[in-house]
Amino acid sequence: MARSKELVPGVGRLSRSQVAARRGLYKGLKKSEKPAATESPATIEKSVGGDKNGGKRLIPTSKASRFYPAEDVRLPKKSRKSPKPASIRSSITPGTVLILLAGRFRGKRVVFLKQLASGLLLVTGPFKVNGVPLRRVNQAYVIATTTKLELEGFTVDEKINDAYFAKAVTKGPRSAEAEFFEEGKPKAKEAFPESKSADQKEIDKAILASVKKTENLAKYLKASWGLSKGQFPHQLVF
Amino acid sequence: MGLQEFQVIGRHLPTESDPTPKIFRMRIFAPNEVVAKSRFWYFLRQLKKVKKANGEIIGVNVIHEKKPLKVKNFGIWIRYDSRSGTHNMYKEFRDLSRADAVKSLYQDMAARHRARFRSIHILRVIEIEKSADVRRPYIKQLMTPNLKFPLPHRVTKIRSTFIAHRPSTF
Amino acid sequence: MSSSDSTFKRFIEVGRVVLLKSGPFSGKIAVIAEIIDHNRAIIDGPTTGVTRQSYPYKHLTLTPLTLAKLPRAAGSGVIKKHLEKEATIEKWDKSSWAQRRAATEARRNLNDFGRFGVMLAKKARRDVVRKTVFKAKKST
Repeated sequence: MARSKELVPGVGRLSRSQVAARRGLYKGLKKSEKPAATESPATIEKSVGGDKNGGKRLIPTSKASRFYPAEDVRLPKKSRKSPKPASIRSSITPGTVLILLAGRFRGKRVVFLKQLASGLLLVTGPFKVNGVPLRRVNQAYVIATTTKLELEGFTVDEKINDAYFAKAVTKGPRSAEAEFFEEGKPKAKEAFPESKSADQKEIDKAILASVKKTENLAKYLKASWGLSKGQFPHQLVF
Repeated sequence: MGLQEFQVIGRHLPTESDPTPKIFRMRIFAPNEVVAKSRFWYFLRQLKKVKKANGEIIGVNVIHEKKPLKVKNFGIWIRYDSRSGTHNMYKEFRDLSRADAVKSLYQDMAARHRARFRSIHILRVIEIEKSADVRRPYIKQLMTPNLKFPLPHRVTKIRSTFIAHRPSTF
Repeated sequence: MSSSDSTFKRFIEVGRVVLLKSGPFSGKIAVIAEIIDHNRAIIDGPTTGVTRQSYPYKHLTLTPLTLAKLPRAAGSGVIKKHLEKEATIEKWDKSSWAQRRAATEARRNLNDFGRFGVMLAKKARRDVVRKTVFKAKKST
């Protein structure tokens, strides 16, 4: 409420919509970085005249307000709750074949690798088998099957975490005008990072080896899942 | 909800003139203990000069069937208040326990005479031990040796929960 | 009432083997030990895990099997002896009815990968049939 000066504690001069208009968030978030705040001392020593005044005095740089609010404004209580680590369904263990139910790869059967810190499931197609890359999925959008791959001694590299999947932030202001005129023109497609495709290959190598151990399993992973007539998901065994 | 057979024991409260009142015991068919006690007072005040206000219940027990997996024939005497008067009746039932037989009696009376629980007094329930003592033909026919009968009109109904169906009589 | 003047083949009678259709014993077979009335009978299955109990006809199906010499109101031990002597359980397990039931049950309990395997096997069978039919047609 910096722009909206408080008239009475808790009530600003401007309405919510006025504040919103003045904040100008429709222009996009501020891109410029704040100048580094210079540390200013809380008090200054000043020399004072007069014999009986001790010569020096500590004076606060910012004067305390002469008034204090007559009414008490309640501050919202700070939540002391912290998010717990997400628990995973007991039927999902590393190597479990999952059926994706939502998103771009819905209907695909994929292999579960591990749970990430955010609680999302790390899965892979493997990419070579059904085109599903290393990907994060919410366990709510997944059916766990009883089919499991043997992934003895296989561990996913620590570098594959939630940050690994974050989108790269493009810095620098882009004028709205340039963006407008760019529309319609085909954008130059960014090449998939070499390192990421190498990671994919590295992980899939171990999984493909265990897929090959069971007959038809590669075919199974390649085929997509669906319900046919007279099939009801609650009556099926997965 | 089935019925249970209760044994309810009660008496008049001891007074100066009668420090040791007579103890009464009744076998009552009721859905639960509360109803059993209530029926006990209902019957006792009709029979004796004792009511709930000046009496006490000494004990309530459930009487369990001794052989609940043996098929028995029961004879039941009842008193029943119809819309026009009071009748005595004797009916026979083939069942596994006394309580089950009384339950089917109530169902039967409700079906044939629209009689409610409140208008029926169970007078006596006995197990008919000798087959010669069975009086009613509808029980006799179930006791013929080498009894066998087919199950005609077996219709399997497989209906979807979500699709509407025209009503049909079978 | 003799069975000769009836067109029915299966009767409610002491010794009749029945298949239970609902409840915790659903899918198991038992024997009628005694008839209670027109709606219920006492059934018992000492070798099939069905406890002795009263059971409504509505929730059971009659099978063609019977224990012909079972006396009325026989205890579990006697029924067990009769079942073993006549090898009724084996007869039931060999019947096409029971086998079909077992097969559907097995198919129903297949997991997703199992169903996929069935699909592949069916495809392979179709392929063989199609090819042989084509060959036979060509030769004539």
